[in-house]
Amino acid sequence: MGLIWEAFAEAWRLLTTGDAAIYEIALRTAVITGFSTSVAAGIGLPLGLFIAIGQFPGQRAFLSLANAGLGMPPVVAGLLVSIALWRSGPLGSLGLIYTPWAIVVAQALIATPIIVAVTAAAVMALPPTLHLQVRAMGAGTVRYLWLIAREARLPILVAVMAGFGAVVSEVGASMMVGGNLSGETRVLTTATVLEVSRGNFGTALALGFILLAMVIAVGVMVTGVQARVRRL
Amino acid sequence: MNAPGFDTGAPPLALRGLRVTRGRREVLAVDALEVAAGETVALLGPNGAGKSTLLLASALLLPAAGEVRLFGERAGRGNAVRLRRLTSTVFQDAGLLDMSATRNVAQALAIHGVPRAERSERAARWIARLDIGDRAGARPHQLSGGEGQRVSLARALAVEPRLLFLDEPFSGLDFVMRSRLVGEMRALLAETGVTALLATHDHAEAALLAGRVVVLIEGRVAQAGPTGEVLRHPATPDVARFLGYSVVPAAEAAALGLEGRGDAAVPPAAVTVVPPGTDGAFDAVVGAVEGAGGAARLVLAAGVAGTALSAEVTLDALAEARWTPGAAVRARIDPSRVVWL
Repeated sequence: MGLIWEAFAEAWRLLTTGDAAIYEIALRTAVITGFSTSVAAGIGLPLGLFIAIGQFPGQRAFLSLANAGLGMPPVVAGLLVSIALWRSGPLGSLGLIYTPWAIVVAQALIATPIIVAVTAAAVMALPPTLHLQVRAMGAGTVRYLWLIAREARLPILVAVMAGFGAVVSEVGASMMVGGNLSGETRVLTTATVLEVSRGNFGTALALGFILLAMVIAVGVMVTGVQARVRRL
Repeated sequence: MNAPGFDTGAPPLALRGLRVTRGRREVLAVDALEVAAGETVALLGPNGAGKSTLLLASALLLPAAGEVRLFGERAGRGNAVRLRRLTSTVFQDAGLLDMSATRNVAQALAIHGVPRAERSERAARWIARLDIGDRAGARPHQLSGGEGQRVSLARALAVEPRLLFLDEPFSGLDFVMRSRLVGEMRALLAETGVTALLATHDHAEAALLAGRVVVLIEGRVAQAGPTGEVLRHPATPDVARFLGYSVVPAAEAAALGLEGRGDAAVPPAAVTVVPPGTDGAFDAVVGAVEGAGGAARLVLAAGVAGTALSAEVTLDALAEARWTPGAAVRARIDPSRVVWL
C-alpha cells in the first residue's frame, strides 16, 4: 500500500508543480496525435464517403479492407512503417525514421481505417431516400457530398474521435518508429512504459493521468457537440 | 423558373424506349410517354408495377437505357444536374435534412441559386402557404408525418419547378391526413399550373389529381388515357382487376345473368346482395369481408366455377346482416355497369 500512496503523492506533486519534462511530453503527444488524426481524417473522411456513395468495382472489398483495418494492431502498423522508413528501406532516403514524422505516419496508418470504416457505415446508414432527395434537389457533387456528410456529422465526429483515441493510447508503433528519444519522439505512452521499467511509478502515474485526462476531454467534447446538435 | 435556352414548345417530359433492368430482369419497358405542359399525369399500378422506377428514371435519379428528354433536351451525364434543377421531386418519405423546416426550404433555394437575401422570405412564404407556419423552426424529428410531408411539398414548390415529380407522396399518411393533403395538392397544382407526374396506387388520388393516367402492369404500359375514361373502361383483364373490377370469364358470364362478348369486368358497385326470391339473382357464397376507408366489400364466390365477385356494401348493411365467410347469399349484377373486355 505504501508504494501506491507514494506513487500517487509523487504524481500529484509532479502535476501540481508543473514539471516541465512531463508537460513537454504531454504537449508533444497532443501535437503529434492531433496532427496524425488530422491527416487520417483528411484521407479517411473522403475515402469513407466515396466508399459509401460511389459505385465502382471492388467497393465491397474496399469496405471489407477498412473494416479489417479497425482491428489493425499498432505493432503491425509500426512494423510496416519501420520497414518503409528504415534507412535501407524504400523511403529511407527521406530520413524520417526516429522522428515525430514517423510517428505521424504510423498513427495515421492506424487511425485512417477506423475513420474510413465508421464514416462509410454512418453514411450507408442514412435513409436511401435522403440520397435521392438531395440529388433530386439539384445538388451538384460537392454540395451533395457536403449535405450527406452533414447529415452523418455526429457519427463522423465519433469516427474522428475514435481515431484519436486509438492513436493517443497506442504504444507499440510510436516506440518502434519513434525510438522514444528524449526531447524528440517521447510521447505519453512510450514515456509511461519507460518510467515503469525504471520503477518510477509516480512519474508513470502522472503521465497516465494526463493521458486519461486527454481521452476524457475528447469524450466530453463529443458529448458537448452531440448535445449542441440536438438543440439546433 | 426562367430557363433560357430550352425549347419552350417541347413537352416537359418525353420518354422513348425506356428500359430498366435489375440483374437480368427487365423491370421497366416503356416505348413512349409524353407529359404536356400544364398537365398532371398519374402513373397508376399495383406495388412492383414499375411506377416509382419510371418516375425516378424520368427525374434522372435512376440510370435507364433509352431516351429521356426534359423540355426538349436529351438528358445525359453532362446535363443531368442542370436539368434536375428544372424539376422537383417529392417522395413518400419526406426526406428532410436535419435542420429546421424553413432551412430545409431555404437549402433547396440555395441549390437553385436564389440570392441569400431572398431565401428566407420565400421559404417562410411557402411554409406559411402549406399551413405549417407555426412549425417553421421545428426539425424533422419534431414534425408529424403530415407536417413533414408539407415541408417536403413546400421545399419542392418554393423553387418554382417547371416539372414536379410526386412519388407516392401521400402513401405513408393516415386516411384523414392523406385526404386533406390530396385536396390541398389539387389546389396547389391548379394554382401554380406546374406540370406534374404522379406515381400512385390509389385510384381516387389519380382521379382527384390527374387529367390523364398511365396504368403500369409488370413494368409495361397496360393502358393510358384520360383518367375518367380509364377508370370507367379498363381495356384488359389485368387493368380491370387492378382497378378493383371483378373479371368474369366469358364462359361464366351467362350463369351470372350477363349477356355480351368476351370477359366481363364488373365493378363492385354493380354487384348487390339481394333478398331471396329477387328476379335475375344468382346464388353466391361469402368468401371474405373486406373494408377500407369507410367502405366495405364482400368477396363472393358465384356461378358453377365459383367466380370471385366483389360487391360493395354499406357499413350499415354490413352491421345489420353480419355476413361471415361461408354464408350463403343471393346477388345480382347491374348489366348496364359491366364493361366487356
